[in-house]
Amino acid sequence: MNMVFQINGRDVGIEVSDSELLLDTLRHIGFSSVREGCGVGACGSCTVLVDGKSVSSCLVLTSRCNGSSILTSEGLADDDPVVSQFIKNGAAQCGYCIPGFVMMVSELLSENPIPTEQEIYNHLEGNICRCGSYPEIVQAAMDASKAKQTSKLTC
Amino acid sequence: MRPNVFRPQSLQEACSLLEEHEEALVYGGGTALQILLKQGILVGSSFIDISGIPGLAEISFTDDFLRVGPMVTLRRMERSEEIRELFSLASSAYAKVANPRVRNTATVGGNIAHGDYRLDPPVALLVLGASVELTSRNSIRKVPLEEFFVDFQVTDISAGEIVTAVEIPRSIHLAGSSFVKLSSLSANDWPSASAAVGLMENDNGVHTLRLALGALAATPVMATVDIRNLNLDQTLEASLSKAMELMDPIADVRGSVKYKLRLGRVAVEEAIRSAWKEVPNGR
Amino acid sequence: MGGDLTNLEIENDAAAVGQSWQRSDLEAKVRGTFRYTADLPVPRCLYLGVHRASQPHARILNIDISSALEMPGVVRVVTGADLFGIYGELIYTGPAFADQPPIAIDKVRYVGEPIAVVVATDLITARAAADEVYVEYGELPAVLDVDDAISGSDYVHEHLRPSSVFSDLKHLQGRGETNVNYEYNLTSGDVEKAKANSDKTVSGEFWCPPTSHVAIELFSTTAWVEGNRLEVVTTTQTPSYVRQALASMLDIRLNQVRVRTQPLGGGFGSKMYDRLEPLVAAISWTYKLAVKLEITREETFVLTTRHGVAVSSQMSADSIGMIVSAEADVRYDTGAYADIGPRIASKSGMVACGPYKVANARVRSRCIYTNKTSAGPFRGFGVPQVTWSHESLVDELAREFGEDPAQFRRKNLLREGDVAPMGTVMHSADFVGCMDAVTSAIGWNTPLERARGPWRWGRGVAVGIKAVLTPTISNAVLQLNQDASATLLISTVDMGQGSDTIMAQIVAEILCLGPDQVRVVNPDTDITPYDTITAGSRSTYHTGNAVKKVAERMREKLISIAAQLLGVSETDCKLTNGGVVASSSQKYLSIDEIMQLHFGAIGTTLTTESNFTTEWIPYDKETGQSVKVTEHWFAGAAAVELGVDTRTGRIHIAHLAVAGDVGRAINPALVKQQLEGGAIMGLGHALFDEIVMDHGQMINGTLLDYQLPSVKDLPDRLTPIIIENPHQTGPFGAKGVGETAIIPIAPSIANAVRDAIGIRFTRLPLTPERLLMAMAGEGD
Ligand SMILES: Cc1cc2nc3c(=O)[nH]c(=O)nc-3n(C[C@H](O)[C@H](O)[C@H](O)COP(=O)(O)OP(=O)(O)OC[C@H]3O[C@@H](n4cnc5c(N)ncnc54)[C@H](O)[C@@H]3O)c2cc1C
Ligand code: FES
Ligand code: FES
Repeated sequence: MNMVFQINGRDVGIEVSDSELLLDTLRHIGFSSVREGCGVGACGSCTVLVDGKSVSSCLVLTSRCNGSSILTSEGLADDDPVVSQFIKNGAAQCGYCIPGFVMMVSELLSENPIPTEQEIYNHLEGNICRCGSYPEIVQAAMDASKAKQTSKLTC
Repeated sequence: MRPNVFRPQSLQEACSLLEEHEEALVYGGGTALQILLKQGILVGSSFIDISGIPGLAEISFTDDFLRVGPMVTLRRMERSEEIRELFSLASSAYAKVANPRVRNTATVGGNIAHGDYRLDPPVALLVLGASVELTSRNSIRKVPLEEFFVDFQVTDISAGEIVTAVEIPRSIHLAGSSFVKLSSLSANDWPSASAAVGLMENDNGVHTLRLALGALAATPVMATVDIRNLNLDQTLEASLSKAMELMDPIADVRGSVKYKLRLGRVAVEEAIRSAWKEVPNGR
Repeated sequence: MGGDLTNLEIENDAAAVGQSWQRSDLEAKVRGTFRYTADLPVPRCLYLGVHRASQPHARILNIDISSALEMPGVVRVVTGADLFGIYGELIYTGPAFADQPPIAIDKVRYVGEPIAVVVATDLITARAAADEVYVEYGELPAVLDVDDAISGSDYVHEHLRPSSVFSDLKHLQGRGETNVNYEYNLTSGDVEKAKANSDKTVSGEFWCPPTSHVAIELFSTTAWVEGNRLEVVTTTQTPSYVRQALASMLDIRLNQVRVRTQPLGGGFGSKMYDRLEPLVAAISWTYKLAVKLEITREETFVLTTRHGVAVSSQMSADSIGMIVSAEADVRYDTGAYADIGPRIASKSGMVACGPYKVANARVRSRCIYTNKTSAGPFRGFGVPQVTWSHESLVDELAREFGEDPAQFRRKNLLREGDVAPMGTVMHSADFVGCMDAVTSAIGWNTPLERARGPWRWGRGVAVGIKAVLTPTISNAVLQLNQDASATLLISTVDMGQGSDTIMAQIVAEILCLGPDQVRVVNPDTDITPYDTITAGSRSTYHTGNAVKKVAERMREKLISIAAQLLGVSETDCKLTNGGVVASSSQKYLSIDEIMQLHFGAIGTTLTTESNFTTEWIPYDKETGQSVKVTEHWFAGAAAVELGVDTRTGRIHIAHLAVAGDVGRAINPALVKQQLEGGAIMGLGHALFDEIVMDHGQMINGTLLDYQLPSVKDLPDRLTPIIIENPHQTGPFGAKGVGETAIIPIAPSIANAVRDAIGIRFTRLPLTPERLLMAMAGEGD
């Protein structure tokens, strides 16, 4: 089918097969931050936001996203506080899982700008970082929440 | 090889498609279907994507019911303020499913229809006395959830039927409730035992305990316990003996039968203790 | 040109070594723009789909490929017979034994072994067609248990086939009627006598199950033919090995094979030696096709595993609690193919008695074939499994004496200059310092409220020892560019440990450069020089030394050129930030100027190269003794405070402290991450991470069922501690750290559980079920 959606703010019109998965579509058109790690919704390395909500793109039909707006980590702003705090905290080892975590933290902070540590754990529990960068990731999430608060105050 | 996907725009059309294509499966969020497809368990099926049908993703309240459309996502159930207020047991069970991504995708209809014995939400819905609305080309029927789960991976959905709503009655008032999910391996794992408990209140007080169990038998199971005049310890005793009757666990990578029986008791006890705390002045 | 230094404003940058430089490519990794191997541009490819064995041990009677071939998009279907017909015996590869065909020939030896490969125009078709291959099996008795494999009369291989790589295995050629492909023996002193004279003896039967690495990046290999050469782009930790293996298999020259890899999305030992490469290369070369194989998570579970290991062990101490003897019978379940198992069996066997002064020791460590997925290297190289045994035994022994387990260890731990049981003198490995650091971090001597409602609390400690892989070889080539930037060519693979960053820091330190001035080229066997492997925590020391040397040579070269240009002696010259200064005259030339004057051109490069090779003295075949069995040692320790929920059997870790003696931390932030990451992976192994098998079939082979630690499984507190005892010959005193943390984790947790509930567990993982049933007196 022919479909149109927005990816990282740009309109994209493509033809997809009925049963194509969003993961494959996005990789195919060059968004390589979206990666397969398990194919069953259990690792989070394929996370993107569809209309602001996190999904495992390995389980989502592309055709379902007709008219939706999709955000991948490549689409975050240059000064995105989540990205900045991940960098500042050195929150990556091999880095493969990291865009997935970045997107989950982005979703969390948009829903819940000042999450508790427990709320951060609850939100990230379905993402696997085999390198074990969790301490830095959690710290980055907390710092990003703070950074967002301060930038709001100064606006 | 690759499934066909139909995209009906009306319920009528969906029902007709379902009747025409015997092998076709209703596509809710697809979180279960996609995995079955990848595992080679589903071959040659086609999907009927019901997301384009208006009105199936609504949460509404009538005087008697909370009515949830099948395409409402699990995460909306978790986060809806109204549901949290009125049916906190439901929100807390929906909140425990998988992870936020799966909950953003999976649907209330697909979750119920999936019929897996370990699913979390049905356990809470059983205690809440929910029922399922099933629509086919020629009929609409309402099945109490207690009768809905027939056997291992088998539900009461007949060929040609679509789950069109899950309804939770407003008549059952729970003075205290709790959902407990115990996993045996990593913290984020599926449950090895889950229990939902509701202390049902009527005019003269709390006389009935509603108890449902997940992952402890071939289907989610449920019973009521008469707790008139029982104190907490007596309630625990009566409920645990009822629970023992209900439990018939399946051994798997998450534990042996013996272990799950023990864990089941802990889940029940924990759920009762925490529900009990919610009741003003104990009883 | 030139000038007077005193008139130039040159900041004296802080030194590079010892600084927590930001990981190279960190920003790209966070933004998701970093390119992994599967993202590299390659020619238009055909895709491969693999049909895998459903039987653990069977003859292949017939392979029906007809319906697969009929599917639109299928180009051909390749079987083992096809490749054997062309390459004959050369098709068998492997680092220790040439026993592994890339695709089953005649026989399958584990569930998941490739039987037929579909070549198709797209991935979905390739995979679907692979399902349409039908195989007729002639079932053979399967060898599924490591002890049955020793005692039984069913054999995985008709005879042993040592490869030419390790000369010490040559004598095993052709040996038949055995599943034991290698046996390492260590003896010292007189165990029987020591035991007879000892005061107390403890013993145990220990088991660590196989586990999966689960690097989140999946495996991907692409190969194509370019003229008379084979190009391979693959996820590997061993590009140099892969080039050699492919060249031998295809019987072509080394320069006809080019192997490239990008920094990996995790390796942990999984992406080593012969994974997808022989299969993909053979198909590409034979049929002159550009082909790509990407496998699913489910397929990675049957590609390689950590060794399941059984250990029967004993330890005795004299009346004052000094360990006098230790014994261990270690059985490594290596699965269907030996991989590097024989080396793992010996390198781990030699430390099976632990980091203790033990005069009388006896170890037999065997590597054993079974009909399971071939086991290979896994962070720790077999050592965590023997540590599970010795650290549990030592703990029990301490308890027998009623002594504090930390104090008991402290008395017995090896110290500088002591001779370890395999005859090598211990140096630069601070076991005591590591142990003291972790115990003090968790408040070992503070009071602990042991019973809190249904919870029981306890503390445990464990110490680990491991030898660095020796002998191994590293090479480095450095180009200094005219603009004072440098390009470093090494074949070490950065897979998250941060080697690219650390190596850049070493170059920068010596050439006085800044963070952005050194670029490390990704491994490419056409360009980057030979390196044994990226594994075994060897890179910081080996490659680090090669890199230090290559940078020093560059400094010398630069100084010698500058001296000539300045007309002073070399000894008068000094390299400072951005240039060379003559001490006597204070005359200064920038690198830019030196290069331009020297070459008479701009954009030029100066090149140096270096090699660093470590030597060992092979151990005696009978006694396992060697005065230099390794270049150096790793020391690590973990201490933990935890509670056990007596209702559910669940463990809750309040505090886990882990320490590693890293010699010198070149980049403290990265070292800390390695310690944390190793600890978290070790915690998974302790609590739930395992491959569960039933009749040779893995039954938890998806990430829905296979359990890994998530953020919710972390201890309430995790404290990584860097211990620095500069190593005499390490680059700036440094040595590796990738494996140090994982080694002592599981026993430290089990020891704390023992402390909390009084039960000694000998089988991993410590699942709630295992604990609960044991507390109920119904344990296994
Ligand atoms: C990683 C992961 C972890 C998980 N962990 C948990 C967990 O901890 N606890 C838990 O409870 N669950 C867990 N789940 C399961 C999850 O709850 C289900 O996959 C999900 O609820 C299914 O909903 P869906 O809408 O995606 O269903 P679908 O995949 O769309 O459908 C499931 C089944 O229902 C049928 N169906 C769908 N909609 C309808 C309808 N309206 N009418 C009739 N039939 C219909 C389909 O034909 C199919 O047979 C997990 C899943 C994943 C992927
Ligand atoms: S690949 Fe989608 S969640 Fe793992
Ligand atoms: S950084 Fe490697 S998996 Fe997370």
